[in-house]
Amino acid sequence: MPIHDQGYRHYGGHREAPGRAWTVIASAGIRSMAGKRKFLGLLLLAWLPFLVEAIRFYLVANFPQASILAATRESYREFFDYQAVFVFFITIWVGAGLIANDKRANALQIYLSKPLTRAEYVAGKVSILVVFLLLVTWVPAMLLLVLHMLFQGSLSFIRANLVLFPAITLFSFVYVLLASFTVLALSSLSNSSRFVAILYAGAIFFSDGVYGVLYAVTGSSALSWISLGANLRQVGNIVFRMKPLYPDTPWQVSLLMVIGMIAVSMLILDRRVRGVEVVS
Amino acid sequence: MAADSTGTDISRQAAGGKPTGLWAGIMRVFDLSLGQMLWSRRTVFMGLVVAAPMLLALLYRILHASFGDPELNGQAVRGTTLFGMTIWLLYLRFIVPILGVFYGTALVADEVDDKTITYLFVRPIARRAILLGKYLAYLASTLCVVLPSVMVVYFLTTPFDLSAIARSFPALAKDLGLLGAGLAVYGAVFAFVGTSLKHPLVLGLVFAFGWEQLALSIPGYLRRFTVIYYLQALVPHAMPQDSAMSLLQGVFREVPPALQCLGWLAVIWAVFLLLAAGTIERREYVLEQ
Amino acid sequence: MTMATSTDARPVVEAEHLSKWYGQVIGINDVTVSVPAGVTGLLGPNGAGKSTFMKLMTGQLKPSQGVIRVLGEPVWRNPAVFSRIGLCPDQDSFYDRMSGTEWLAALVRLNGYDERRADEAARRALEAVDLVEAGGKKIGSYSKGMRQRVKLAQAVIHDPELLVLDEPLAGMDPIGRRRTIRLIREWGRQGKSLLVSSHILHEIEAMTSSILLMHNGRILAEGDVHQIRELIDEHPHTVYVKGEDPRRLARAFLAEEDVLSLQLEQEAVIVQTARPDAFYSRLTELAASGEAGAVGEVTSPDDNLQAVFQYLVK
Repeated sequence: MPIHDQGYRHYGGHREAPGRAWTVIASAGIRSMAGKRKFLGLLLLAWLPFLVEAIRFYLVANFPQASILAATRESYREFFDYQAVFVFFITIWVGAGLIANDKRANALQIYLSKPLTRAEYVAGKVSILVVFLLLVTWVPAMLLLVLHMLFQGSLSFIRANLVLFPAITLFSFVYVLLASFTVLALSSLSNSSRFVAILYAGAIFFSDGVYGVLYAVTGSSALSWISLGANLRQVGNIVFRMKPLYPDTPWQVSLLMVIGMIAVSMLILDRRVRGVEVVS
Repeated sequence: MAADSTGTDISRQAAGGKPTGLWAGIMRVFDLSLGQMLWSRRTVFMGLVVAAPMLLALLYRILHASFGDPELNGQAVRGTTLFGMTIWLLYLRFIVPILGVFYGTALVADEVDDKTITYLFVRPIARRAILLGKYLAYLASTLCVVLPSVMVVYFLTTPFDLSAIARSFPALAKDLGLLGAGLAVYGAVFAFVGTSLKHPLVLGLVFAFGWEQLALSIPGYLRRFTVIYYLQALVPHAMPQDSAMSLLQGVFREVPPALQCLGWLAVIWAVFLLLAAGTIERREYVLEQ
Repeated sequence: MTMATSTDARPVVEAEHLSKWYGQVIGINDVTVSVPAGVTGLLGPNGAGKSTFMKLMTGQLKPSQGVIRVLGEPVWRNPAVFSRIGLCPDQDSFYDRMSGTEWLAALVRLNGYDERRADEAARRALEAVDLVEAGGKKIGSYSKGMRQRVKLAQAVIHDPELLVLDEPLAGMDPIGRRRTIRLIREWGRQGKSLLVSSHILHEIEAMTSSILLMHNGRILAEGDVHQIRELIDEHPHTVYVKGEDPRRLARAFLAEEDVLSLQLEQEAVIVQTARPDAFYSRLTELAASGEAGAVGEVTSPDDNLQAVFQYLVK
């Protein structure tokens, strides 16, 4: 009778093709956050505006007296403004520690000693945040559109506003990618998730504050590109084919600032996500 | 080794040190923490944050020297107006709350996260002395950075004219006082949040930038449950109308008497500092393995 | 230099029905124990409750039930007692931007030392752990072994009566371990009481014979390791005898009633006996007479903490 080897056995099963490791990081991160009740509570709260809007659509569709509340293309644009506060808190809660906690635990070395490229590591981390942020931006906005259609019982609004499908999708992705890459880049700069959260909050509120002072002094919105929030709002209005919010700033400048911010964040990630940090 | 009549080794006390009184403990922790706070990367953040208004003021000074006062709707925007807006929009609405949230919530939480709190807890000083010493270090660091920056902004925006300075100096003194009070009170509130709650930073941001802004724009009693309500009443400058929220807050703004505001601020400060001290005494800090 | 010592015969730590739980998880389970003065080893596998016990002892955790007294005093919310206790925690965390000297001086100032005395104490503590040369460098640049030593230094800097050392040898190289074990024994000889935890058995054996065995939050046994061994009479004692003719040795051993089992190896026989003293004296006679051939080596793999622990845990 053959005696079976009880020692170490090499894995002989199926191996995923290289380049899929980021999905492991993403799914582990998503599962970890989804297991936190308070975070799930925040996600639920983030769907409150959706509920309010859905009730509004229902009232408009079923009660002629409520016709003044009828939704327009602008309503969908405004929905993203309502979601902004939830996007901010989810970004901080999920994103601030994504890389900072790994740096604190010296886990980057372990990650990068596996057959995992730095790009896959970053992609995995970004995906965690993107999933949750899309869950409170793109998903409820698209669902609203579908509900609108269902309550109305016709495709007339959709036909008149076909741009809404690509607009919601494009703006959601721009918004989510900007928030995700910015916070991830900041997270790669520190071991402390708390510090990262404050840096992110600072970047948003402070840039708004500085622009506020400049606007109050000059009376012109020409310097709105200084404010991260203003750039995003400007791009949002353009994507939804609305009038620019800051008429003195060309929308191309705002778009360039958004893209530039994402590019700078990627550059920071490229420099900072390393297995070994040299301390001089 | 000498022994006293009770058989206790006298040298034992000298060898182990003696239990440190509350005030002495506070000052020793203050000494330890001040250096850490001032010379850390976080202070770079604080420096950047207070540098921005100074840069704006410098820009104004250069423009004013080259082209005179800028105009808004046909009216010249004076330096004192710019100073007032900077106080409102940058210092009061952002710098003071964010520093309070950042440092206040991290007074003890940082040491808990870093697991260095053990070294402080096993010294013969009361735990509340640790908290109060760190609070004092926070206050000293922030006052040393923020108040000079306000003075720089003031001197850059105010014309070099003794009479102009004399006219506006009382307002500057009020501004310095109210910003100092703001740092002290926010620090105390968020010190309590930091010692007693999980996720203190998120809750701190919700309070400072969510609840306070919302409560100010709703008429009624709710605004009394904010710190900014009492601080705003002390500001000697006109409130700017830079956004819809500001317009709304301006419409519903109440200005209670200054002494009442100072009284309530003192009460808030004392209550939250005592609560924070009480919490750290009683709370167990289970460090992650 | 005067030494703070625990000269009383009273136990340095007394726990009565002490329990600690974290939610549903029991960390310490109804422990009643007195730790005597001197060097005591706290032994147990990871998760046994050693660190929890030490944290209760040093006031970092509050008992869920029961009482714990250190040097005769309650320790929770009693900072005064910390002038007599020194703790070397297991976590590897420091104020990395401070130098070793600065850090030690800053901490000992919290013990009421003035600046001059604090600097002197820091220098002495660094000398004791052989870190004087590195004292001016930032702790962030220290190796793992140096970090362990500076941690020991902060525990002993104020000359406490009781030292609580949680895994003090973790991360040290063999030379560092030997040096630290020597330090621990020296402090014990100087009259300090020490409670040293480890899950590495031979480390504890090298420091002391007085141990507390913990497992699953309970105390399994306390006292001298040899006494504990003697108490376990229902567990046979194993003796390894290497000889010229193992089979003849085995035949000689089998004749005695106290021999419970035999195992033959190529050049040795492994005996399990219920009465080791009687067995050893017979073995001596056998070896002297040469009846069963020459006896080359006699060892007992049992007479150490590992065996004791394994018997108790089974």
